[in-house]
Amino acid sequence: MSKAVFRHIPITPLSADELLDLSKKHKLSLSREDMLVIQAMFKEENREPTDVELEVIAQTWSEHCKHRIFGAKIEHTLDGKKEVVDGLFKTYIRNVTHRIMDKKPGFVLSAFVDNAGFVKVDDQTAICLKAETHNHPSAIEPYAGANTGLGGVIRDILGAGKGAKPIASLDVFCFGPPDTRQEDIKAKDVIHPLGIMRGVVRGVRDYGNRMGIPTTSGAIQFDDTYIYNPLVFCGTMGVIPIKDIEKEVKPGHLLIAAGGRTGKDGLKGATFSSVSLTTSSHEEDQTAVQIGNPIEEKKVADFILAAREKGLIQFVTDCGAGGFSSAAGEMLSTVGGEVWLENAPLKAPDLESWQVFISESQERMVIAVEESAMPELQKLADIYETEICKLGKADGTGILKVMHHGEVVCRLDNSKLHEAPRRHMTATWTTPKRGEDTYIPFEEVEVGNELLKMLMADFAIVSREPIIREYDHEVQGHTVLKPLAGASGDAPQDGSVIRVEGTQQYAALSVALLPEWGKTQPHLMGRACVDECVRQLIAMGANPERIAILDNFCMGNPDDHTELGALVETVKGMAITAEAYGAPFVSGKDSFYNYFKTDEGPISIPCTLLVSGFGVVEKKEHVVGASIRRTGSKLAMVGQASSGLAGSVFARMIVKNARDEVGFPNAPQFSEAEAFEAYERYHELVKRGVVLSAHDVSEGGLAVALAEMGFSGKAGLHVDLSLVPTLDSTPVAEHLFGETPGRIVFEIDDKHAHLAEEAGFTIIGQTTDDGFLTITNQDQQLVHLPIKELKPIWQTGLTEYY
Amino acid sequence: MPLPHALILKFPGTNCDAETARALKVAGFSAEVLPIALLEPGKLDTAQMILFAGGFSYGDYVMSGRIAQLITKHKLGDKLRQFVDKGGYAMGICNGFQILTQLDLLPRGSLIHNESGRFICRWAGLKKNASSPYLSELPDEFELPIAHAEGRFMGVGDDTANYVANGRAALLYTEDVNGSSQRIAGLQDDTGRVFGLMPHPERFVNKVTHYDPDWSQAERGWGYYMFKSVRDAMAG
Repeated sequence: MSKAVFRHIPITPLSADELLDLSKKHKLSLSREDMLVIQAMFKEENREPTDVELEVIAQTWSEHCKHRIFGAKIEHTLDGKKEVVDGLFKTYIRNVTHRIMDKKPGFVLSAFVDNAGFVKVDDQTAICLKAETHNHPSAIEPYAGANTGLGGVIRDILGAGKGAKPIASLDVFCFGPPDTRQEDIKAKDVIHPLGIMRGVVRGVRDYGNRMGIPTTSGAIQFDDTYIYNPLVFCGTMGVIPIKDIEKEVKPGHLLIAAGGRTGKDGLKGATFSSVSLTTSSHEEDQTAVQIGNPIEEKKVADFILAAREKGLIQFVTDCGAGGFSSAAGEMLSTVGGEVWLENAPLKAPDLESWQVFISESQERMVIAVEESAMPELQKLADIYETEICKLGKADGTGILKVMHHGEVVCRLDNSKLHEAPRRHMTATWTTPKRGEDTYIPFEEVEVGNELLKMLMADFAIVSREPIIREYDHEVQGHTVLKPLAGASGDAPQDGSVIRVEGTQQYAALSVALLPEWGKTQPHLMGRACVDECVRQLIAMGANPERIAILDNFCMGNPDDHTELGALVETVKGMAITAEAYGAPFVSGKDSFYNYFKTDEGPISIPCTLLVSGFGVVEKKEHVVGASIRRTGSKLAMVGQASSGLAGSVFARMIVKNARDEVGFPNAPQFSEAEAFEAYERYHELVKRGVVLSAHDVSEGGLAVALAEMGFSGKAGLHVDLSLVPTLDSTPVAEHLFGETPGRIVFEIDDKHAHLAEEAGFTIIGQTTDDGFLTITNQDQQLVHLPIKELKPIWQTGLTEYY
Repeated sequence: MPLPHALILKFPGTNCDAETARALKVAGFSAEVLPIALLEPGKLDTAQMILFAGGFSYGDYVMSGRIAQLITKHKLGDKLRQFVDKGGYAMGICNGFQILTQLDLLPRGSLIHNESGRFICRWAGLKKNASSPYLSELPDEFELPIAHAEGRFMGVGDDTANYVANGRAALLYTEDVNGSSQRIAGLQDDTGRVFGLMPHPERFVNKVTHYDPDWSQAERGWGYYMFKSVRDAMAG
């Protein structure tokens, strides 16, 4: 089309109800209050908006882009007591981070302002991390949804600073159990968890592998509540010279679009993801989901990195949700400028103006450059075989003016556009009462043996090997601690460690999510997720003072007071631990409306928090794996056990299989102050080079942690529970399978054991040459099994499903 | 004496070029990553080795390496053959092996989808089956990481058995990892200067990238010795 196609939409004469109808008809996902504010805005200007303008406002104000719930004023009632949360983000995330930044000047180089947060590695080099969700698209089209999910977060990194180089990816999924019976799925068109899992894994595989970015970390949670709304988190870490972090668009800069062409695919993804799924979503919203083209992205990545090295980039950002409208909108948000839609290369010529501007076609970046750099940029684009065009120009007016074939199709005052009306919300949470835990007797060693074997075969614990092997986790040649390692290269680790190019240092990467606690103990979930993520990084050798984290939230219906209450409690818990550990949040994201309307009512996911983190490992000698390395060494314990099994994998397993009434209402307890102080003492041992291996105690408890350490096949392990430090009179079940946060088991050479003891750690056992995992309580055997028997149970648990 | 110059071709989708260049430099080469758009026949005159690196050239949506092979042929014509005939070295790693196979510089055969139908990323045991300038400083058995979806080598008729017998199959897996006929992992031409393999030597240059922290069979990773072998062979 060689002319602009747009129309004016009369809204000034409409009533509030009519405005809401209009919002629904055009799928704008704007509330009645939003529509009234927009109406007032145009009444003041004495004109009607164009369809382009309405679409721009809808996407700018969408929950997906604006995170209005994290900015809302929330009246929260906890156990009957009222409190007002003046913005979750500001109160519990940004302010906490700023206080930590004040205490640790120079570590965090940028947080919340760019596509990803940056931390310093050395005087020249910084690393950054970003994680995103792609839940709704993955529910409807798992392969394409996950494919573009990873593609999108990689572009976030390419658009961080003046273009960071992606060096590792992480992928975390929440699925329904693989053995879900089809007849138990209560809505038609919902894809069986196996279909979701296979599609999602292949989607990640085909994007990450083709991009040449190692997928090194991840996790999978299986639970019935994720059958209707699977969760797909994709994250990428990048590296950049510190001098290239600061970026600014100035009047006179040209905006160029680079990469893929613009088409009708991916229309309204931002607004689509800001409502719940229904059966009709599977029929109607297919246009919101796209197929990725990783080679297109690889070409634009090569182009951007080469252009950045030559100093040709002034500002860069990706086209994510909202397409050009969000990218150009962000770049011109204060400076103002013109956009020329007719210059954008199109996939097909029949696009209307609004479609060009908000299409979310993949693999596109927008870059601000000096006009004089154009010839050199064009040369680079030719070399790397990517397409570039002049999309617009910054002009210093503060007004966003979108032109299409000479006509103004959108003219908005940026200061007004970026001020969405604030939401007021209500939340409530009631802490579950403590009570009697069911007592599990362990008189016979067979009981412990059988329960441990059952746990090793639980979907929560079994090896993710079939999936990990489909990801290239070694490309770029810097993966030092691999997701599977140990003597035969197939034992689980706490995360991964990557050498940071251009430095002599390493970055550890780990993830933690504990959604079972999201159902009953959200505050503890928030605390424990931060603890586990940080603890894993420290176990792998990261300096406790040089760790930064991200928070990614997913929840169901924010208008449900209890569901929102769980979120508020999670955020509060998370903030406490992050502040105690001095681990700043440098980036984060949230995803709401993860509920599905079935005929029998809505089904929501539990409030789910993913904490992903990265930490600096200062020397290669500090890198610690989770696999036992030799016989005759000592095993020591960081932290202490406590009673309480609520939310543990063990409790879930017992409840599922019990014939009688059983219950585990009590959650474990831990102290952040004590935990972190112990981590610092542990790190001193790491720096002395005496820690041979270390593993965090998490899902499945101490028994599972010890078994996993033994999967290196190099030695047996013997631990005496009577030596294990405890907070209270901890029953045997909790000792073996409890999930009290704050704990690490580490292996130390016999001749260095005194160093561990002098550092305040208790020796709880030793490695042996009998090949058995033996757990005793003084003379009583509680577990006694050949590791050779346990390993195949754990290793093959997913093979029949994937 | 100037360092031998290695030219690493970078197609859209090639993604192991940076670490391959790094590995070559450590082993004593000067290495240049050349985007395919800049390739012209005269470029070969500057190099002693041409290297096809790993990745997914043009996405490998057709047959792996197919489009890269067509573009290379189009750009270089007979020049590549002449380069090898005049004593030049050509190496292909993973996707580069797939491309080399299609360029008719190696014994005939093709690399098809793994028997499992899956991408596979793991370490594989390897054994030398013939002498090769690329293997001279390696022990009879060693290991390297593999990462491929299409690494199963198939020949026509008795081809693969013959390659094992006559030493064209220079490198074999010690166990079956992908269904490759005769467990072939790497091939050489009759001069030995053209060598292609599915495993990734560039990912194991330093001990620290081995999966076992206690690995201590050599001073450096096996991949280093592969590049060092061919470097020393060039020096004569």
